[in-house]
Amino acid sequence: MKAMDYHEPDEQELTTAVTAIADGGGLDWLEDSISLLSADGDLSGSYGWWCDPPLLPAQQDDIGIVVAQTLPPPAALTTTGSPPTSIASPAPASSKKRKSSPASGHSGGGSQRRRAEQERERPAGGGGKKKGGGSDCREARWAEQLLSPCAVAVEARNLSRVQHLFYVLGELASFSSGDANHRLAAYGLRALSLRLPAAVGPAAAAAVRVPALGAECPSSFAAAEPRVFRASLIRFHEVSPWFALPNALANAAIAQQLLQAPGRPLSLVDVGVSHGVQWPTLLESLTRLPAGRAPPSVRLTVVSAAAATRAAPFSASPPGYDFAPHLLRYAKSINLDLHIARAGDLSAQLGEEEALVVVCLQFRLGHVAPEERTEVLRKVRDLKPDLVVLSELDVVVGGGSAGAAGEFSARLELLWRFLESTSAAFKGRDGEDRRLMEAEAGAPAGMITAPASGEGREAWRDRMRAAGFQEAAFGGEAVESARSLLRKYDSGWEMAGAASGAAAVALRWKGQPVSFCSLWRPAPPP
Amino acid sequence: MDVTMEDVVGDLEISGCSSSTATSSPSSSSLVDDDMGLYAWNALSPVADWGPFCSDDGGQDLHGLIESMLSDDALVGADPASSLFHQAGPCYSNGSDPSSTTTTNPGTPVYDDPAQAQAECSPEKGLRLLHLLMAAAEALSGPHKSRELARVILVRLKDMVSSTSDAAASNMERLAAHFTDALQGLLDGSHPLSGAGKQAAAMAAAASSSSLHHHHYNASDVLTAFQMLQDMSPYMKFGHFTANQAILEAVAGDRRVHVVDYDLAEGIQWASLMQAMTSRPDGVSPPHLRITAVTRGGGGGARAVQEAGRRLAAFAGSIGQPFSFGHCRLDSDERFRPATVRMVKGETLVANCILHQAAATTTVRRPTGSVASFLTGMAALGAKVVTVVEEEGEASSEKESDEKEEGAAGGFVARFMEELHRYSAVWDSLEAGFPTQSRVRGLVERVILGPNIAGAVSRAYRGGMDGGRGGWGEWMRGSGFKAVPLSCFNHSQARLLLGLFNDGYTVEETRPNKIVLGWKARRLLSASVWAPPPLSVPSSPAEAVFQPIGMAMAPAASGFGRMEFDFIDSFLVEPAYALV
Repeated sequence: MKAMDYHEPDEQELTTAVTAIADGGGLDWLEDSISLLSADGDLSGSYGWWCDPPLLPAQQDDIGIVVAQTLPPPAALTTTGSPPTSIASPAPASSKKRKSSPASGHSGGGSQRRRAEQERERPAGGGGKKKGGGSDCREARWAEQLLSPCAVAVEARNLSRVQHLFYVLGELASFSSGDANHRLAAYGLRALSLRLPAAVGPAAAAAVRVPALGAECPSSFAAAEPRVFRASLIRFHEVSPWFALPNALANAAIAQQLLQAPGRPLSLVDVGVSHGVQWPTLLESLTRLPAGRAPPSVRLTVVSAAAATRAAPFSASPPGYDFAPHLLRYAKSINLDLHIARAGDLSAQLGEEEALVVVCLQFRLGHVAPEERTEVLRKVRDLKPDLVVLSELDVVVGGGSAGAAGEFSARLELLWRFLESTSAAFKGRDGEDRRLMEAEAGAPAGMITAPASGEGREAWRDRMRAAGFQEAAFGGEAVESARSLLRKYDSGWEMAGAASGAAAVALRWKGQPVSFCSLWRPAPPP
Repeated sequence: MDVTMEDVVGDLEISGCSSSTATSSPSSSSLVDDDMGLYAWNALSPVADWGPFCSDDGGQDLHGLIESMLSDDALVGADPASSLFHQAGPCYSNGSDPSSTTTTNPGTPVYDDPAQAQAECSPEKGLRLLHLLMAAAEALSGPHKSRELARVILVRLKDMVSSTSDAAASNMERLAAHFTDALQGLLDGSHPLSGAGKQAAAMAAAASSSSLHHHHYNASDVLTAFQMLQDMSPYMKFGHFTANQAILEAVAGDRRVHVVDYDLAEGIQWASLMQAMTSRPDGVSPPHLRITAVTRGGGGGARAVQEAGRRLAAFAGSIGQPFSFGHCRLDSDERFRPATVRMVKGETLVANCILHQAAATTTVRRPTGSVASFLTGMAALGAKVVTVVEEEGEASSEKESDEKEEGAAGGFVARFMEELHRYSAVWDSLEAGFPTQSRVRGLVERVILGPNIAGAVSRAYRGGMDGGRGGWGEWMRGSGFKAVPLSCFNHSQARLLLGLFNDGYTVEETRPNKIVLGWKARRLLSASVWAPPPLSVPSSPAEAVFQPIGMAMAPAASGFGRMEFDFIDSFLVEPAYALV
């Protein structure tokens, strides 16, 4: 944040976002927070940190979040090794200055606050208009009006109809221009063209001309360039609560849990899609726990994407991407004993017996087949966790009588919410970061080949109970901080079901469910 | 002859007095128009030069393209590996398209040689345009009506058809451009969600009048275009000649003839009629001809009609045809009121109803009920014969039953595609006849066919209520009109007319009182002749026999043909000669 103070004019958006996250998180990690991304050049091995804050503006393009923090050069850190003992230099002078500056409110500078509010108001106006009539809203979603009939035609093997709609979609589709509709058309068309052979047979499918979209199709996570990948993740967390809000809720719940179990080491099991982005906020908040309550050590076990869950969207990462060194450096800077381990499987040993075990199941379990879910949950149960955080998409796919076309429509609906909210998040501007996130959301894996097993909140509740868990409630503070965090984003977002200690907290976009975050503990044996 | 000439002059003067609006102050522009008109006619006379360029290649045509699009067969044989869509990806790409160069190369078969088709890219782009047009029509109708989707599609269509300059644009691009404009007119002007009734009609009317303003062409352009179309195709003359012949037969022996013309346009039809009336081989002096043009209240339509009247009067004077001219206005809702027609005792009354003429010059918009009010009104006035020229649907009875099943809204797509079919055939026929004259065709398309398309699409959208694609025949039979069989002379005349143009045009007799003009298997226009139901108090005894007039006695077809050719050309050429 110090950098923000130095370069405020150039950094307004960034400032806003950072303020928003920090402020809304209610955890006041702002002052000393640092991003794991601070060392942009780390991966190339040339140099690992920005030692000179004035250099920042030149480097801070979209990446944005880089926070100036003087860090030691990257020693040869092993992912699981203990951090080298070196000088952590927390709270440099500028941080002090930051603190001493007159702040309006409990956090965030006055100018930043104002800026944040301005940002908030602009989308609010547009959002209000759009929200007006449901029919208008439907009407504006023209891509769906082509894609859904096309899906029906594909399943009905009506080739001439398919061909007609392919032509039309091909003319209107774009991965990188226009509003969310053009993008939905592009991803939907690609998904349908991949689905076609299975639906109508290879011979018939070969006779249908498919508009070529490949040339400009953006790459998804697995094929992304690591630097771009990291920058995009950060940026997306800044501008959209799609993942940021569930992450913040999870972190708040974990911090709460720690207050009830002072002095125990913390063992985090990360079965999520945050690729490390979730954790700096949590680590920072640990340092501000009342004396004696902070865990003596934190062990983060990252369960790899290949294990337990198959190719869930947003779970892959490009080769060469590794957030561990950054996170370890940051932990050291705040005098936190952090260990990072990778596990191929949930059955791995998780360390000390007395540790407080928290398992974070975030947006991955929903992408495995229902029978595998039971198996994964059984393994989670075997870890004897003190807390399980479950965040999943709140969408029902399949299971009904609608068949494959209905399934596709449900996925399309979800993708629309993603694309529309992301368009609002980026204020309609195109960019590499936006394209990458959208490509991952619209990847064929999620649109076509994923098992037809999307489940709503209620179904998840039943499943968790059956697996031997009982639901726990969020603390009022956690919900409130999440609510204020959400206010920093587009006005189309809202939280629901979080009133008066209700169990799960739901995230909605324009009144439609997107995801939920819930807390679970193993039920006592009967 | 002297007497006749005086008669003519006198009539003209009377006519001038009777039409209060036009004679008050002849504007300078109208004089210019006259000059321009003559100049244009002169400039366009050497039609014969275009003949050798006739191509009778049946492979490449827009019509075939549309057929292929709509049939499943198109899927078979398509090469999936080919990158036919190489321009499809970028949504807003505006790059030059190789297809634009194929305008003057009509000989490329679409599917005979896929490789070549790919190289030229034009059929592929044509297909893309067609699919978008159809999708836009779908978006404007049906249970999932979406104006937003239609808007987006039209934006894309405009992008595609405007990427090339007008002159370089391919045939298909120009056709698509006109249909795009027509659909845009529907989108801008109609409010289908706001309920039926007068409001919607008023909106549509406002839209069509604004689009008329948008497509405002000066009078000389319009006249030139009409002349071009007349020279390039039988589309104008087919209706005019058939109707005129029926009128001549119906009024044979009558001394005063009064034609009430529902849509005068440029009045070219009546020059032909005068020509026929004054060239009787038996030397009988021509009957007096009075034309009453029906006009829409207000606007510039009345002035255009007056201009046409002045030209007709001048032409009548030049060939010794006793003539007078007037007009009557439709109501504000475009209903025809018989009382507005000035009736003169002793005149044989004739109703002429040409329903396919260019919207750019048409004086009425023909909303629902207007045509019907004209037909019933003329019956009430005691018209002896009614001639109707209208667009002809394909297998109209089938289509109608389809529409009933689909409902009025779903039927729009079918009707829209029907119009697309029809005009693609027109496009093909003009290109086949005059492949190298793309600039000239462009003028005809802009000035005449484009407005026609806008009108046709608008009518299709309103639900085909103006008689539907089934045409007026059904309505007229139901209203008590009797079919008047076409004479064999009239049939022969139509065939002779087609003989003047390139192969591909067809004429068929679908009913005894109706003949249909087509381009290759596609029916385009029909002309039919009717007698109104008898009045309760007959104003004149009905004449049972329709006697063929003079030329019908021509001994041999060849001789008749030459005369017929003179007849056709005299109207076009004579004023030009007079200038020289």
